[in-house]
Amino acid sequence: MTRPVGSPIRNTIRELRGVRSMTQQELADLILVTRQTVNAIEGDKYSPSLEVAFRIAHVFGVPLEKVFQYDAKRSGK
Amino acid sequence: MARLGFQEKMLWAQLVGIVVVVAFYARFLVHAAPGHHYFHALLLVLLFLFASVRTFVRRRSKTVVEDERDQAVASIGARWSNIILWLGLIAILVGYWDHGSMRSASLLIGILFHLLVLAGLVRIIRELVAYRMTA
Repeated sequence: MTRPVGSPIRNTIRELRGVRSMTQQELADLILVTRQTVNAIEGDKYSPSLEVAFRIAHVFGVPLEKVFQYDAKRSGK
Repeated sequence: MARLGFQEKMLWAQLVGIVVVVAFYARFLVHAAPGHHYFHALLLVLLFLFASVRTFVRRRSKTVVEDERDQAVASIGARWSNIILWLGLIAILVGYWDHGSMRSASLLIGILFHLLVLAGLVRIIRELVAYRMTA
């Protein structure tokens, strides 16, 4: 569950929140996780389950790939 | 440093509570006469209190207090705790085979109890480390 530095998964949650002036707590309440988990996801330190990832995309009304991007070059494989 | 979540606060409270009780009794028992003391009972009451507070807050809180990340961290803690328990049980069995008996049932219960406390402490510390690594 922990993501080491250099995780191949990136996300744009902070930017998407910023555009909507949404706090971490507000997003956390909408996707049914704790504020700490939102903070960890934003910092690329925790990869959420597919269900939570879809919930985030649904809240922002964007496709999943707009929220999470996979950088193969950083995967080391 | 990110603000502590409910689960982390509970873990710190458990850690401090257990360390204080263990430290007190470690000092007290050195000078105490043999006999019954309340070490085991006090620790059990402490764990029961924490479990009650946790359940109460989880039911009363309007926001989510436990999610998939907490469950993932708990599984890491449980894995480490299991390793300690297995190592302890193997040590007990080796001791049993070495001496042919456990001398007394109370000794065995004492060893098992301390093993559980140790496994609990390892679980709490490992979970706190996991929370900080993903904070």
